[in-house]
Amino acid sequence: MKTRNDCRDWRELLGVYALGQLEGDERAGLEAHLDGCAHCRAELALLEPVARMLPHADPERFESAPQPPPELGARIVAKIAGERQQVEKLRHRRRLFGGFALGGATAALAAAVLAIFVLGGGGGGQPEQHVKFTAVPEGINIYASLEPHAYGTEIRMYVHGVASGTLCTVALRGPGGAAYPAGTFRYRVGDDSEAVLSSALDLSRTRAVVVRAGNKTFVAPVGRAPIAAITQDQEEPT
Amino acid sequence: MIPETLKRGNSTRGALSRERDVREAYSAHSGELYGFAVRSLGDAGLAEEAVQETFVRAWRAGERFDPKIGSLRTWLFAILRNVVIDLGRARAVRPGVAEGGIEPSVEPLEEALLSWQVEEAMRRLGEDHRRVIVETYYRGRPYAEVAEELGVPEGTIKSRVYYGLRALRVVLEEMGYED
Repeated sequence: MKTRNDCRDWRELLGVYALGQLEGDERAGLEAHLDGCAHCRAELALLEPVARMLPHADPERFESAPQPPPELGARIVAKIAGERQQVEKLRHRRRLFGGFALGGATAALAAAVLAIFVLGGGGGGQPEQHVKFTAVPEGINIYASLEPHAYGTEIRMYVHGVASGTLCTVALRGPGGAAYPAGTFRYRVGDDSEAVLSSALDLSRTRAVVVRAGNKTFVAPVGRAPIAAITQDQEEPT
Repeated sequence: MIPETLKRGNSTRGALSRERDVREAYSAHSGELYGFAVRSLGDAGLAEEAVQETFVRAWRAGERFDPKIGSLRTWLFAILRNVVIDLGRARAVRPGVAEGGIEPSVEPLEEALLSWQVEEAMRRLGEDHRRVIVETYYRGRPYAEVAEELGVPEGTIKSRVYYGLRALRVVLEEMGYED
């Protein structure tokens, strides 16, 4: 065995010592050196916690780490895009109704994410359109968003302020004025949900949404204006 | 009028605001997150669910991420830890599944995190260092035997154990380990 006068020679035994595997003369010699060498004691203090962690690992797992399936990333991005759309709907309604129709938690969520999705709008896909009803009397709120589908157009409706139980009939109007029925729903006091309806008319050919609520008729023109221009009109006064 | 949010387009806050950010964070950290999820949940399907939920929660809370406080990786791991606890609890209440072994309490999760950390650090270690630690420590083989097998002096094996543990410490510190 070579003589170990050099601090470095002793230091290189610290690993085996920290693992509790140094024996005999080497062990006795190293311990004597440690008594007089603050540098090696400090070095040992760095290795000991690492050595104590080793028993927690399974050496069978050292070779390769499990990899996530290749499509997981795309799935996550798609899920987030879907959730962003939902938030956008919430936010839009919150703007229209000043948060009236939303529960506290939902409103908080919408507010929290309000800042997030505006930047993320470039996700592709055909956007839904929010339409604005004209000549709506004070006290009544009515809101619709239209989403294009292969079968036609999906309409999400929300009405507030008419008598509870009021029958609402919805249709889309095409270029020539022809009406394409979308269905009926009833407004109930305290109900906060949207009615989801559908019509066979393509969104690209839709010129207006017509809602008959009781004896009143409301019309929302459907233009090709970008959503930004529509929402801008409805900016809450500051 | 330009919305306030657009004006802040170059802000560093809101780590996962855009889809591009999500993609970047995913490609940088999903491997590690998934590895830990598999280790702690013991199930590839649940691990996928956990990683997905982690990114969705991170996206929802994106505005709360502050790089001044900690790295995105640390933040994602903190979220994943909670997700794993939630999934463990959900599984524990499902009859017939809990008996199989996932403990919903926090302590085994800490144990799983520790195990995963050491295993991940060992995977990142150089082959020479990893090999001597595996042969001498985990397999308990005599130093002389390992030295002969590798064709180097016994002293070299011993010093490699030292440098290997040193390197392991550096890797663990890079992964966020503190004494």
